[in-house]
Amino acid sequence: MEILQEYWPFLLPLILAQLVLLITALMHVLKHQNYRFGSRTLWIIVVVFFQILGPVAYFVFGRGEDG
Amino acid sequence: MNHYIVFVKKELLEYARTYKLLVMTVVFVIFGITNPLIAKLTPELISSFVPEGMTITIPEPSALDAWAQFFKNSQQVGLIVLVLVFSGVLSSEVAKGTLINLLTKGLSRQAVILAKYSAMALVWSWSVVISALLTWVYTVYLFPVDPLSNLVFSIFCLWLFGGFLLAVLLLGATLVRSNYGSLLVTGAGVLILTVLNVIPQAGKYNPTALVTKSMDLVAGTIGLPPLYASLGITAAATLALIGLAVLVFSKKQL
Amino acid sequence: MSILEIQDLQLRFGDNQVLNGLNMTVPEHAVFGFVGRNGAGKTTTMRIVLGLLKAQGGTVTVCGERVRYGAAKTNRHIGFLPDVPEFYGYMRPLEYLKLCGEIAGLPPQSIRRKSEELLELVGLDAANRRISGFSRGMKQRLGIAQALLNEPRLLICDEPTSALDPIGRKQVLDILSAIRGQTTVVFSTHILSDVERICDRIAVLEQGRLVLSGTLAEIQKQHRRNSFSIRFAEDHEARKFSQLEELNKPGIELSLQDQVLTIVIEGEAAAGRLLIDLLSREKIAPEKFEAIEPTLESLFAEVVQ
Repeated sequence: MEILQEYWPFLLPLILAQLVLLITALMHVLKHQNYRFGSRTLWIIVVVFFQILGPVAYFVFGRGEDG
Repeated sequence: MNHYIVFVKKELLEYARTYKLLVMTVVFVIFGITNPLIAKLTPELISSFVPEGMTITIPEPSALDAWAQFFKNSQQVGLIVLVLVFSGVLSSEVAKGTLINLLTKGLSRQAVILAKYSAMALVWSWSVVISALLTWVYTVYLFPVDPLSNLVFSIFCLWLFGGFLLAVLLLGATLVRSNYGSLLVTGAGVLILTVLNVIPQAGKYNPTALVTKSMDLVAGTIGLPPLYASLGITAAATLALIGLAVLVFSKKQL
Repeated sequence: MSILEIQDLQLRFGDNQVLNGLNMTVPEHAVFGFVGRNGAGKTTTMRIVLGLLKAQGGTVTVCGERVRYGAAKTNRHIGFLPDVPEFYGYMRPLEYLKLCGEIAGLPPQSIRRKSEELLELVGLDAANRRISGFSRGMKQRLGIAQALLNEPRLLICDEPTSALDPIGRKQVLDILSAIRGQTTVVFSTHILSDVERICDRIAVLEQGRLVLSGTLAEIQKQHRRNSFSIRFAEDHEARKFSQLEELNKPGIELSLQDQVLTIVIEGEAAAGRLLIDLLSREKIAPEKFEAIEPTLESLFAEVVQ
């Protein structure tokens, strides 16, 4: 708790950035059927459970072509 | 010139809509925030792992540690993400056939290469600037103001090295057809440069000096002159690589 | 004036003589069907016309200008639709047309106006969403729109209908019909019914040269043979008629199947009248009397042997 109070100026934007990434990646996974590899379930797990790295990995490796 | 501007705009739209810009921005924003935080918290974390009764002395963290984090993160994960994000920059368009249609309409091939490089360099510049700014703001907030030497110059060296890597990547993309070809060429390039450092006198001229000497610069243990040779060579090599990419691509049968 | 003139075009890939003295002329305002088997050299010819491929001999002239490999200035007269057009999936149709217009150097206002017109023509004016969600047919139609953007005098389409389902095919053919008169259309295909539907001229490519060309009516007339089919009401009438002395002599082929007699008479201009005379002499009223027009299929099969 003490850490939270002291470091909120750091944690707040960090959590925000992470949420933005998580939500955009999750929406993209759900709206598309084609991935370069892997299934929808796999990518949902990766995106939700691996903070930052999961969504980045999805956008760099998993996202099918186009939009 | 007109084609160049049109195509830079197209590339930037592509980066925004295919999440390349988002990934780069978020990764470098997160670095910017965590750099000072990790520097600040590391001693506390270490002492919490030390068993009761044992005392070790940990030096008080400073602004210098925050910037050490900045350079470490940008040079390792940062550059890797940069290269990965842009690995398909040319090959995916050539393979899919989206470019040929525009080329038959008279789009100049030179404009394609120059625009792609410029747009990538723009995203890289934005990422470095935002990450450095955040690191600076939070460092000032957390630590007493220390006089740091050559900080801007050192960041400039990092930026130039990234630009150099992008040029290697682009040339690789004109030479090899597959998406991973450009990655392979870039990886091989970095490996060769690293191995070259074994030769005692080579280090001074090697582009890698721009990223290995960062903390020496900031700590003030070396000044700017030792880096001039590497700086000049990297800048020249970057221009030469882009020129070569233009040449290779204009001769290429699509 | 002819829009496209190809003279003595030669191209060889290794041992394979792809084009062997191809001569072809496309007059202005034609809808020109360029027919041939898969691998006959249609796409190759188109790539040479676009300056994407270098021929080893012969000349290509578009609107009176020679086509040069690599720097094809003649492409400003040409709109091209590749067989499977690919677009940036993250763009919307209007954005893609804007990009094409800017590359072609058109002024901004006219890009906007022309784009809207063309999207309406191809029926995509309501599809204001990203191209990645488009069906093949929609992409093909967008392909026509982008090819027409700079108001080309010649529109070249490479197999525009082969990858499409029947509805998509009909839509594409309707669009190509609709622009008849505004621009000259050359399209390659191996689907003969498409040619019959919209083309006024055809050329058949086989083994690197044209084996058949002209307007559809001309070709049918040239290749019309004196073929007739007569259906009789009664079996015995059919048998009797087919055994007539006048019909059982050299130069006349007969084949009787059930009550239908097919007759091919070579070199006899008044063959139809002869048959009618015979029918009336024998006092036979057939159920059906028909002169057989050669179908494009049969012609194609004949010349491609």
